[in-house]
Amino acid sequence: MSVNNLLENWAQFRHFHPVDDKPHDPYKWAMSIDLDACSGCNACSVACYAENNIPVVGKEKYAHGQAMHWIRIEHYWDEDIGVPGGREFPEQGAQFLPMMCQQCEAAPCETVCPVGATNHTADGLNSQIYNRCIGSRYCSANCPYKVRYFNWYDYPTTDNVWPETMTRQLNPDVTVRSKGVMEKCTFCVQRLNAAMSTARSEGRKVHDGEVQTACQQACPTNAISFGNLVDPESRVAKQWARQQVELTKDKQTKDAEPGGSRLRGYRILEELRPYPSVMYLERVRESAV
Amino acid sequence: MFRFLRLSVLFAVLFVSAGSHAADASQPLSTADDLGPQVDQPIEFPHDRHAGDAAQGGMQINCMYCHTYARRSMTAGIPPTQKCIGCHQSIESVRETPRIKKLFEYWEAKKPIPWKKVHDLPDFVRFHHERHIQRFYFQQGKPVQEVCGYCHGNVKTMTVARRTKSLSMGWCVSCHEKQHPVDAASTKTAQGPNDCWQCHK
Repeated sequence: MSVNNLLENWAQFRHFHPVDDKPHDPYKWAMSIDLDACSGCNACSVACYAENNIPVVGKEKYAHGQAMHWIRIEHYWDEDIGVPGGREFPEQGAQFLPMMCQQCEAAPCETVCPVGATNHTADGLNSQIYNRCIGSRYCSANCPYKVRYFNWYDYPTTDNVWPETMTRQLNPDVTVRSKGVMEKCTFCVQRLNAAMSTARSEGRKVHDGEVQTACQQACPTNAISFGNLVDPESRVAKQWARQQVELTKDKQTKDAEPGGSRLRGYRILEELRPYPSVMYLERVRESAV
Repeated sequence: MFRFLRLSVLFAVLFVSAGSHAADASQPLSTADDLGPQVDQPIEFPHDRHAGDAAQGGMQINCMYCHTYARRSMTAGIPPTQKCIGCHQSIESVRETPRIKKLFEYWEAKKPIPWKKVHDLPDFVRFHHERHIQRFYFQQGKPVQEVCGYCHGNVKTMTVARRTKSLSMGWCVSCHEKQHPVDAASTKTAQGPNDCWQCHK
């Protein structure tokens, strides 16, 4: 995409996404996460650090809010801890929620980037191009999920995050980011591209389960499933259909039922209309509201 | 009055600079400046002798006989020394020439030849050889040296390969923007991918 092309076709690149005239074909990558299965073990986060060359910033920078975890486990606690009749130990009331880039269809981050470093791909991902990024951090400010992470330091050199010989554990398919650029979860795009290429050489589409994200692969309870939403036979598409969560809606029909739906599927901050591609599975309980 | 003059001068300058900018934009994407540096290889490998036309004394060996991974993986690959020896152990006529002697020295020392990279892309770029070979060689049925030559230039006339194309993003896009026939028989065309994440990683 040359700059001229970008300027001439700005409206096209800023296309509002779930649209009828531009359906996803043949892929739309999506995820569903079963929160009732999630034990909050953080294996997904660790796997993501290893797969995507994410620097471990250390305690001090973590406290400054400079952690780079593309997938983080959010903890929510029940409020009846310590009150009479309530739970005695806080560990009892913990709820876990793995939070990563939701790969929104109408992503708030994309519209505000001054240089077009973050764009929508044809298979429904929200791409981040590190060497186009100038570090305005506007995208992060506009992200409702707060899942974009900024490189405040040149971690590989000044911080020496990967001292010599440890550089050999870096994934060659992922750029090692330098200072001043924004980064975020990519749905392991390097794995997707490899799988799509293999499938293309063999003249077929990517099978369901052929490609796994690092977090999915590491999850001991299989809470995360990932796949192609266009393929109605994929595990993810079946889950979305069973939970009656539709990608292109900001209010799900099932929620309009009197008394609310008994189905567990929901998407976070759906009402803001970013049309996220990640569905979470958990019944909203009284204690959590 | 003077203020008006100053403004008009400013506009004139702006107009001229905009015009010259437009002239820059229409320049061809491949220029003489694209010629990469001369890379000193451990053995001065004669591509012209191996892949060149028979009329020029070449052997017309298919590029993918040695760079065998190009059709099935991301990287084209450098052949192992074994591949060189496979032929050269039975070619007595050149056995005593300096370059072949050097080759056998590496072979007998059981050491890989430390070839240097000529077409070195930045670390943030993902170039997929397989996709391009599949498209242009296997689907469109173009001659292999033409297909490789889109990016690598006319290697069959070189000894040590040298970069002759700029391999910049604008240069890649100039081809990706074109309509290419999907295979040799059909009139259907398609463009190369325009997604950032197809090439950037």
